[in-house]
Amino acid sequence: MKRPPVLMRVKIKGGDRGFGLWLPLFLLLPLALVVFIILSPLILIAVIVLWPSGWGKRALLVLQAALEIFCSMRGLKVAVQNRQQYVFISVV
Amino acid sequence: MTENQKKILEMLAEKKMSVDDAYRLLNVIDSAESGQESTHKAETAVKAKPKYLRVTVLPDPANEHSQNVDRVNVRVPMSLIRAGIKLTSLIPPEARDKVNGALREKGIDFDVRNVKPEDIEELVEALSDLEVDVVSSKGEKVKVFVE
Repeated sequence: MKRPPVLMRVKIKGGDRGFGLWLPLFLLLPLALVVFIILSPLILIAVIVLWPSGWGKRALLVLQAALEIFCSMRGLKVAVQNRQQYVFISVV
Repeated sequence: MTENQKKILEMLAEKKMSVDDAYRLLNVIDSAESGQESTHKAETAVKAKPKYLRVTVLPDPANEHSQNVDRVNVRVPMSLIRAGIKLTSLIPPEARDKVNGALREKGIDFDVRNVKPEDIEELVEALSDLEVDVVSSKGEKVKVFVE
């Protein structure tokens, strides 16, 4: 498993207005982990209930894929600009 | 011909070794050198492994200061593309048929069910040779490449 990203930078500018944001993902991860642990009994029950229909396994795989996608986001950079607007997203 | 091979042939010419010995030694040198070559090739392949897919759109230098110019610079990690392609295996069967139908409507005869995990690596590696270079009628330069 890859190392998850630690910071996300978002900068949006439109006309005279704009804002920049540094998102400390490394601080949000422990929070997400706590939420996941709290919700894990519910998730487990949902997976067991849905298992016979095939959706339970799919739900587990989606969770795994979501985590993989999140960890693969390191290095993503999007910069789109014209005269009036500027959007910049960078994941470090 | 390498120095070692020359030496062996000289020794054979001077009858310092038998033909069988010379043949055996030449084979050993050959295999050792091809081994070194393949290691070097593997190292080069590892070095050349693409890390990012880049998409850039640059305005025409003549219109650079005009109002309606867009600049785009996108860098997508290959690992993210890999993970995204893997997601296709999680598409529910009903949705897959809809996706296939929509692709067929656009003239793309492609079945997403055929994308297997073992094909993903091959697909991503094939991207390393990708390079798209387009200049639009407005003079904008669109580049898609991997680095």
